[in-house]
Amino acid sequence: MRRHPSFRARKAVPGQELSPQIEARIQQLWSRFPEGRAAQALCLPVLYLAQEQFGYVDAEVVDLVAGRLGLTAAHVTGVATFYFMINKVRPGRYHLQICTNIGCQLVGAYEVFERCKQRLGVQNKGTSADGNVTLTEVECLAACGFGPVAQIAEREKPEIPLYFENLDATRIDAILDALAEGRVPTELGN
Amino acid sequence: MGLFDVKIISEHFGVHDARTLDYFERKGGYRSARKACQMAPEAIAAEVTASNLRGRGGAGFPTALKWSFVPKDAQTVYLVVNADESEPGTFKDRNILYWNPHMLIEGMIIAAVALEVRSAFIYIRGEMARENKVLQAAIDEAYAKGYLGERMFGSGVSLDITVYRGLGAYICGEETALLSSLEGGRGWPRLKPPFPAVKGLWGQPTIVNNVETIANLPWIVEHGGKAFADLGTGRSGGLRLVSVCGHVNKPGVYELPLTVTGRQLIDEVCGGIKGGRKVKGVIPGGVSMPVLTPDELDVPFEFDALQKDERIREVEVRPGQKFDLGGNRTLRTMAGSGGVVVMDETTDMTQAAWRIVHFFAEESCGQCTPCREGTGWLAQVAHRIAFDHGRTGDVDLLASIADGIAGNTICALGDAAAWPTLAFLTKYRDEFEAKVRHAHRPKGAA
Ligand SMILES: Cc1cc2nc3c(=O)[nH]c(=O)nc-3n(C[C@H](O)[C@H](O)[C@H](O)COP(=O)(O)O)c2cc1C
Ligand code: SF4
Ligand code: FES
Repeated sequence: MRRHPSFRARKAVPGQELSPQIEARIQQLWSRFPEGRAAQALCLPVLYLAQEQFGYVDAEVVDLVAGRLGLTAAHVTGVATFYFMINKVRPGRYHLQICTNIGCQLVGAYEVFERCKQRLGVQNKGTSADGNVTLTEVECLAACGFGPVAQIAEREKPEIPLYFENLDATRIDAILDALAEGRVPTELGN
Repeated sequence: MGLFDVKIISEHFGVHDARTLDYFERKGGYRSARKACQMAPEAIAAEVTASNLRGRGGAGFPTALKWSFVPKDAQTVYLVVNADESEPGTFKDRNILYWNPHMLIEGMIIAAVALEVRSAFIYIRGEMARENKVLQAAIDEAYAKGYLGERMFGSGVSLDITVYRGLGAYICGEETALLSSLEGGRGWPRLKPPFPAVKGLWGQPTIVNNVETIANLPWIVEHGGKAFADLGTGRSGGLRLVSVCGHVNKPGVYELPLTVTGRQLIDEVCGGIKGGRKVKGVIPGGVSMPVLTPDELDVPFEFDALQKDERIREVEVRPGQKFDLGGNRTLRTMAGSGGVVVMDETTDMTQAAWRIVHFFAEESCGQCTPCREGTGWLAQVAHRIAFDHGRTGDVDLLASIADGIAGNTICALGDAAAWPTLAFLTKYRDEFEAKVRHAHRPKGAA
């Protein structure tokens, strides 16, 4: 079982609210759920979109989501802490996720992962000192035949997480170089 | 045309515009959905029964039989497609979602007519951002054409399809956890019975089927259930998508007859083992399933054969004592998710086993003590053995922890952690014991 850090309370920033895009999505999806069930069912989609907006989900974002959907903060917190993709702390600008599960392990994922740790100077789930890259070891990404596999998400642009396949020392170096320069090397992904 | 050339689902994998409605329709797509909208639900169900279609999500459960559990007087029935693909070693559904989204949609229309469903959901794995986009675009196209929504194809039936994204939790692939998640909560599995077909989403009868299962339906409606059954063998109809990873020359997703054996799969389909090395072990259906040794590879990778063929050794709790699967059944292996992991002779089986139990420890939802604590202990002890700190008795300890989890939990994740552990110990015990014998110990320790 993954044990998550609990949220740190943050002083509310006045005027912060969910984006109009989130509101539109709520309107769009609401009728797809039965009477009385929509608010709760929308908890996951809205949390995800809120993370797109704010980069992560803390106590304050939980309050915003709970307030909008009429759910208790306790419920929303319970959901947010259950799911791995919800960032509990602010990630680096790039979130580099390396699969080390068996398909990738067999073809050298731990070597790739170690190299990332070394070059970034971090442990698993750590963020480089310059705040640029967060490194996370993840489970199978359903691309096992083309391992080792990585996924890169860029903060505030979470919709481009491409897959980077068949990683080796050369390819991961090229990826890390690009991230250091401030860009996702889309030419290496698919 | 050889037997390996027959394709039901994968023919258009890799074709650039295969995912557009135009292309799909030019290749004959949506003919079956159109036809199904004019068929009686029972007539569709009869074809599915005749087809011997079995679930491709892991359990190989006969699809028509599952459908028949929906109470006849049900008012609201839901269809939920399980697109959470996250069983390590499995990467086939992602191909369907990315290359053939319309085939899935067409299959869902057929299932919805058969089950009298008005609202269906696709629960897609959160990490699959790319596939989610493609799928949503395909659904939008189908709505625009009048193939979804009110009075599909001008018929009297209607269907809405809503995509729901997971947020990163392996357990949400388990059908009851998936439903808990889709209702907007933690992905906690529920005790069965009641089965979802009787009491599922929001308490209503719900059919949960895997992506590949549903994607077979258009072919079945077009060619008839019998033709599908004839492609298969015994009680299993059709072909199967198999995803192969690990130490083979040509890893990938292949659609194959169910009669193909592990050896054929490696040598003939995947071009043999890399570097001309020898095979050491093969997991036939995702990491939840017991591993096979090289001398067990002449059995077809088919649901019943992998469970019953006597050429596959029974899994033991300790040497000489067979693992009891309940009801006096023993465990050999299972076809599972079709995710094949091939390990060559250089593989350290203790490290492979550790990575597998580590995964289950990470992904246990924590509801049941035997699973929550047990998977954590498994990972700890396996790590010790694999990384040269094993203690005397650790091999037996590992087996007894696994035995304590199996059969004592709410959902099958507990078994999924226990079975492979016991299988690795049954078949590669010497390697585990040697690791412990040669472990680095502090001076004076036992
Ligand atoms: C821990 C666990 C994880 C599972 N993950 C998946 C999955 O990712 N995809 C899937 O289709 N089935 C998965 N299943 C199987 C589902 O519970 C369910 O049996 C299946 O979706 C039914 O579809 P089918 O009858 O078409 O195979 C999982 C089961 C367990 C116990
Ligand atoms: S067996 Fe494990 S994953 Fe399944 S309900 Fe129990 S604790 Fe959760
Ligand atoms: S094991 Fe790495 S993608 Fe599946």
